[in-house]
Amino acid sequence: MPTTNTMETEGGILGPVEAGRGRPLELDMQRLLLTGTVLPVGARLRVIHTFATADTKPVEVVYAFMLPRDAALRSFQVEGPGFSAHSELRPVEEAERIYEEGLEEGHLATYARTHRDGVVNLAVGNLRGGEPVTVTLEILAGVDLADEGYRFRFPFTLAPSYHREARVVALPEGGAVELPEHAFGDVLLPRWHTDARGLHEIGFALDVAGPGTGVEVASPSHPIRVGSRADGLLVSLATAGEVPDRDLVLDVGLDGTRTFALGGPAGDGASHFAAVVPSVAFGTREETPRTVVFLLDRSGSMNGEPMQQARRALAACLAALDEQDRFAIVAFDNSVEFFSPILRPASRKEREAAARWLERIDARGGTELAAGVAAAARLLGSTGGDIFVITDGQVFATEDVLASVKKAGARLHTLGIGSASQDRFLTLLARRTGGVSRFVTPRERVDTAALDLFASVARPVAQDLAVEAPEGCDLRPAPPETVFPGTPVVLWGRADDTVPGALTLTFSDPDGEGLLEVPLTLHGQDLGETVRLLRGARLITDLESTLDGAEEAAGAAGRRTGRRKLSRLASLSSSFGLASRAMALVAVVERAGDRPGELPETRVVPVGLPDGMVPAGVFGAPHVVKDFLASYIEAPPKVLCCVLDAIVEDPGSSPPPGPEMDARTDELLDLLARLEPDGGMPGSTPEARILATVLVLLAAAAQGSSTRRGPCRAHVRRMVRFVEATLPAGLPADRREAVKAAVAAVRGEQVAGWDWLELAGSASGDDAGAWEALLEAAEEGAF
Amino acid sequence: MGAETTWTLDELSRLSGYSKRTIRYYISRGVLPGPLRAGRGSRYGEAHLERLARIRELQERGLTLAEIAFELAGEGGGDLPEPVPCQVFALAPGVMVQVRADLPPWRLKKIRRGLEAFARHLAADETVMETRDDVPDVPEQERS
Repeated sequence: MPTTNTMETEGGILGPVEAGRGRPLELDMQRLLLTGTVLPVGARLRVIHTFATADTKPVEVVYAFMLPRDAALRSFQVEGPGFSAHSELRPVEEAERIYEEGLEEGHLATYARTHRDGVVNLAVGNLRGGEPVTVTLEILAGVDLADEGYRFRFPFTLAPSYHREARVVALPEGGAVELPEHAFGDVLLPRWHTDARGLHEIGFALDVAGPGTGVEVASPSHPIRVGSRADGLLVSLATAGEVPDRDLVLDVGLDGTRTFALGGPAGDGASHFAAVVPSVAFGTREETPRTVVFLLDRSGSMNGEPMQQARRALAACLAALDEQDRFAIVAFDNSVEFFSPILRPASRKEREAAARWLERIDARGGTELAAGVAAAARLLGSTGGDIFVITDGQVFATEDVLASVKKAGARLHTLGIGSASQDRFLTLLARRTGGVSRFVTPRERVDTAALDLFASVARPVAQDLAVEAPEGCDLRPAPPETVFPGTPVVLWGRADDTVPGALTLTFSDPDGEGLLEVPLTLHGQDLGETVRLLRGARLITDLESTLDGAEEAAGAAGRRTGRRKLSRLASLSSSFGLASRAMALVAVVERAGDRPGELPETRVVPVGLPDGMVPAGVFGAPHVVKDFLASYIEAPPKVLCCVLDAIVEDPGSSPPPGPEMDARTDELLDLLARLEPDGGMPGSTPEARILATVLVLLAAAAQGSSTRRGPCRAHVRRMVRFVEATLPAGLPADRREAVKAAVAAVRGEQVAGWDWLELAGSASGDDAGAWEALLEAAEEGAF
Repeated sequence: MGAETTWTLDELSRLSGYSKRTIRYYISRGVLPGPLRAGRGSRYGEAHLERLARIRELQERGLTLAEIAFELAGEGGGDLPEPVPCQVFALAPGVMVQVRADLPPWRLKKIRRGLEAFARHLAADETVMETRDDVPDVPEQERS
């Protein structure tokens, strides 16, 4: 039981209160515990939900949650006093019928169904007072894999998202969103509480395993405790009383240069494998001029911290543009706004104008992402190029957006910002268009993440990637055709017999044709079944994301539109034993004393508004709901008292502090933003420019960036090029040597000791002191 | 159709186009009355079908269930509490205060002043107040 904000007042003990009614908040779902194993190619999870009600009448509790990326439900086990039952996988209509009939007979009925956008409704019907029931749900989920590590994200809340026809209302406790039945069926969404304290408690204990792991695990979202296990680490929540107001985010480090494979024999008699090939295996790329349209989501849900972060991210990317690059910026909400009507050269003047334009872009309105993408694609025109999207991805009917974006024909790279996961959608968006995606929390440094992603945009290391399938091998889901630096390729497959010894990859790169032999040496033999299920979850997610609401409804009604897709989905579901929008999970338990015909009261489990989100941004300003609030109040004055008491007597457990925003990184990015298009810092003389540039270069290197790695690698490369190309002839020999030594140290990643940042920030013009420091460091060979 | 026509939940679902769960949910939320007869084989009547049609109409106008409950309460349906008009004051991020709008103007003014002081207090980043006396003037009779 959550014990937060229980307080004593003159009225007696008050637990958490419903803000609207002032009555104690009753929790129908009390706890959610996430367990299971996380691997570099995906996670096999067991989520334990504990339900209980104090009501004397039976209730039906509905918990709505968002699937992680590339995820599917496998089964659940429902347990209570004297009973335990396993779910069955049935076609949706049949599962629904079994559930409704079970309810009518008074039995305990449990039903898990995936709706559009990856929203799942888990319903437990005829829960009796004082009868604790746990539902343990097995979920397969993907991870966000990069060369140097992977990010696992699990949604503990879902984001109140935008849809043109959604009915939205602000409530005293937060807000609610209802979706039109004709497009979304009977999916139920939770109410969002601005103050999540007093909602169900969440926890996690996960095994992090697989080759190359066990080195580094960190979480930007939750305080964690790490213990060691035979094959990896056990990562658990370090504090009690955590509430559902943000995703769990885990970052696991990998050795970014190794190719490895997981898999083995599985339950279906075949062998399944997943091989990870780091992007460095494809070689490096040439720095060609880029054409990029930045697409900025300025919808209401971005209000506050996310919008500030997005502006910073975009400003950082603008500063990383080369003189030969061409760019444009499009901001969208319900309408679309342009920085300029055509692509502009990335000259200093244009970039400064863009930065000024950006400053006055604030958050408002809906999220018409498809319109934004269409506008950005028109700007690119027939010349082609890349679209770099910065968004929270908070839209419903994502299948429609995916379809229209695919039609627009441009390649999208997505930088997601948010504490509630739209990871599933943004992953699909990038994958369907051939781009890459990253998703960060608002507590992280969004600008460095943006730079990191941007550095790989438009400059693939391999194209037209193809894999030769050995005899008896099914290589689905297919690998991407384009490989970007920093993002590895995962080769999935099933072999009739044993896993083949190697796969042959062909691709084209700037130098011509490439050939790569990938050995499939398995890390252990016991992951075959897990890999099989992960393949299934990924295939189901890909197919589901092409099925829109109209097709689903038509297909269910037996019409040809949608019927084919639904039946393909159903057969994928049956062959992998995983639920989808065509197949749901259901279990009915007969208990002693079940009374038929009693209609249970349906209640939806509330969740917290995602951390960092401004309620007015999504639910509208409070004055809009004036009339409505009136209908909700049974005893308004009492409410007033409770709410004030809560403020007066409970100072509140402030949210856990985010990772410290490092002032040094801020300062460095400020300096980098001043880079001239030729890659050098501004200055009055060529010599002064060289000095200023070398100092900033050393400052960036001291913070972990080189020409090859680090968030500022693109800047570092530009500065190195500038310094090497423009060393003034009149420079004294010792200074010239010192500059060369500094560049060599940056290239060799051997910059550490000095506080170059401070010198870079203060050095002006022909600062003799700074030259002296540089000469001294060069002499000692220690930068 | 005769006045005595009644349907099962299944039939009501098919006639109205709402799923069974949605209908049960609407009953739970108080926008639709419960079945005519409880127990096994509960029945629903003409009034249920009409009410569902009305709900659809209001939803198409963009109203949420909470607003629909308010709207329908005026039409004599549901067992909702008598609505009380309220003013809402957003004092600070995460703090909303509701005040009955039908209080005498002098008291409203006084409350508003109190709330303004309170809002300033919050804005000054003093979330913990020293004493209960700092609570804006909430009329005594409304406390109980």
